[in-house]
Amino acid sequence: MKDKSMKQFSGVYFAKKYGTALFSLLIFIAFSFLANNFFSVSNILIMLRQISMLTIVALGFTFVMGAGGFDMSLGNTAGLVNILFGIVVVGTHNLPLAILVGLLIGLAVGAVNGTLVAVLGLPDFIATFAVGSIAYGIKMLITKGNPLTMPASAVPAFTFFIGQGRIAGIPFPVILMAVTIAIVTFVLSKTQLGRRIYAIGGNKLASQYAGINVKKYRFITFLLSGLFVAFASIILTSRLGSAQPLAGEDFMLDTIAAAFLSTTMFGEGEPTALGTFIGAFIIGMLTNGLTMLSVEYYFQYITKGLVVILSVLTSVYLGGKLKKR
Amino acid sequence: MSESERTVDMAHIIQTKGLGKEFNGVWVLNDIELTLRPGEIHAIVGENGAGKSTFIKILSGVYGQSAGQICIGDEETCFTCVSDSEEAGIRTVHQEINLNPYFAVYQNIFMGSELYRRVFGIKVMKDRAMRKRARQVMERIGIDIDIDTNAAILNTSNMKIVEICKVLVHEPKVVIFDEPTTSLGEEERKKILKVITGLRDKGLSIIYVSHNLEEIQAIADRVTVLRDGCKVGTLTREEIDVDRIITMMIGEKTYEGFARHQSTATDEEMLRMTGVSTHKLKDINLAVKKGEILGIAGVVGAGKTEVAKAVYGLDKLTSGKIEVNGESYKPTPGRSVAKGVALVPEERQAEGIIPDYSVSKNITLTYMDKWSRLGVLKKKEEDLDARQYIDKLSIKTQGPSQLLKFLSGGNQQKVVLSRWLVGDFQLGLFDDPTRGIDVKAREDIYMLMNDLAAQGKSLIVFSSYLPELIGTCDRVIVLKEGRQVGEFKKGMDRYEEHILAAMLGGAS
Repeated sequence: MKDKSMKQFSGVYFAKKYGTALFSLLIFIAFSFLANNFFSVSNILIMLRQISMLTIVALGFTFVMGAGGFDMSLGNTAGLVNILFGIVVVGTHNLPLAILVGLLIGLAVGAVNGTLVAVLGLPDFIATFAVGSIAYGIKMLITKGNPLTMPASAVPAFTFFIGQGRIAGIPFPVILMAVTIAIVTFVLSKTQLGRRIYAIGGNKLASQYAGINVKKYRFITFLLSGLFVAFASIILTSRLGSAQPLAGEDFMLDTIAAAFLSTTMFGEGEPTALGTFIGAFIIGMLTNGLTMLSVEYYFQYITKGLVVILSVLTSVYLGGKLKKR
Repeated sequence: MSESERTVDMAHIIQTKGLGKEFNGVWVLNDIELTLRPGEIHAIVGENGAGKSTFIKILSGVYGQSAGQICIGDEETCFTCVSDSEEAGIRTVHQEINLNPYFAVYQNIFMGSELYRRVFGIKVMKDRAMRKRARQVMERIGIDIDIDTNAAILNTSNMKIVEICKVLVHEPKVVIFDEPTTSLGEEERKKILKVITGLRDKGLSIIYVSHNLEEIQAIADRVTVLRDGCKVGTLTREEIDVDRIITMMIGEKTYEGFARHQSTATDEEMLRMTGVSTHKLKDINLAVKKGEILGIAGVVGAGKTEVAKAVYGLDKLTSGKIEVNGESYKPTPGRSVAKGVALVPEERQAEGIIPDYSVSKNITLTYMDKWSRLGVLKKKEEDLDARQYIDKLSIKTQGPSQLLKFLSGGNQQKVVLSRWLVGDFQLGLFDDPTRGIDVKAREDIYMLMNDLAAQGKSLIVFSSYLPELIGTCDRVIVLKEGRQVGEFKKGMDRYEEHILAAMLGGAS
């Protein structure tokens, strides 16, 4: 009897484990046939560069989500970091200082989120949403909504290389993304930090009873989320060549999409770094492919919304099926 | 036992004949013969697992019976659902209070049975009629609660009274009270008991389930004692006596399968709690020696788990001091682990396991440092050590990488135990360690506890299952309503009776 149930189970298991990866392969093949130039090295590199920032943001979010939390502030935090990075780099011509300031802003927002959610116990959706609103207000107060131009003459030479340069033909952001994926994969799967984060996501109470300092580790996840948003924002500013207060707003929905797609992958039920990358890649393919097919821009939002619903549905439905056993 | 033949002929409102219930081939209730007469309070007592709740669930239609009959008056009936039982005039006042805090008292009383009329097909509440009825019910039981106040601001006893009113608006013939006075203070308790006796005097028949034998002695007209799913006997008003009830509840028990025959307690002290109070505990003073197994007994809600939580640092101390190994400290779970304190929690699913983690990850969760260098885990060594404990405790699993959710309850519990065994703890707080697990696993755990004590570790076992404490512990401390009410050493005269009497509030 047990064998039989195991066999029935394995079909579901296979779907859960590889379903999303197959789905992404299908989209890839479909676009390759439908759109000219989609399947080319140069376009794939463009696509990878497009998603590199999203992937980094989503990797930060993966920590938060791994511990069972949620961060609604990251879209607005991105813009705030953009502005402040731009102001400092234009004002001081000191790129390392500007990068440091940018990263510290991200950490500061993360610390506020972590204090509210992990330490004071506020609901994560509401607290981080409110923090995002504050970040939005601050960046608008500073800029009055206007972008800050960064003429090449006014900033150190390397500033634009971060987002626009190439090494051996590979866009620099793609290299940064690859390194980040490798680091996050290592941290999540091989270290105590990752083990504890997933344990908290798996059962918060049991983790606390096992002696894990749940508040501390949840706090850390928000710090990391803020840090990764800041990192991605700096790349984005460099890529755009100007500091835009509204830049990075799309990160929010795209990140949720990528991270939820991630939970549907590899049958773990918890988001992984590689899964998050594939999730971001699916989003990137949709944007890129639909643009190539001259589908109207706004239709892309509808598609993304549908993808989020589909991935969450898959995750909940298959997850529920596995849990019932 | 002492119920003579004549009682069968007397008027009855409910009569059960040979009532039984089985779950998955296990008979949890056998051959229950019970009569409920008009205008009596019939108490039902028994230890945990004796079958009390199964019995009342059959009467209230939650479960169908597997054997026997229920007669209402002279008519034989069978309840397939709760509304069948309600139609027969049987209503239950549940142990839990379940009011909507934002609704007025009268709205709560009519929750789910609102009076309304239809205006163009829309249901419009008849508030005036409901308020009038609610006031009548209050008057009938001689209680004056403002029916327009929100339920949120009522005290616990008044909430209970609203729960009783919820039942009374349906004009039942029989009311089942399930532990109506738990978590109430002395004055509040008296108030509720007065309401219940008042209902009896007005002719209602009452089935009264309680752990509190003093209460039963005060108000019950008859008492039926259950043990291991069987009826031991029924005592009449004149025969009710706390000691006698306790003797009936215990019966003849054997303690085979419990490995502890001799204490291994030393003179060195492991834990001392001095005047410890938390929101649920009042002035706990106790000490455990190295090598000793201490039992903490008490009925559900007596504060057993809260003692474990206080020591482990999950509940904040409002006063008092905790010393481990002679050193005073302010416990948090992290610090407790560092001090060698281990907690096997009561709610295995909610507090013990990470269901989506493998056996091996669950085992290494607490003492993760042992398998890591500079924060990086050594998975192979984790699996190797996990395998060792899988063998040692005969955990039934496909291997260290199987997800814990696929293991049975007993094996999950062994994994939780292994989590501590790998780290060489000094003081184990075992909260209901054999809850819901099979006999074999249970015996394994008793053996293990005995071995641990022999190694010089101290254990505290928290349980409301008396045979377990009697069989495994050197000494038992009894809690009642958050206070220590007695301490009993193994080997004393009438050990078990004394413990049970202290638990249930009889003379001790």
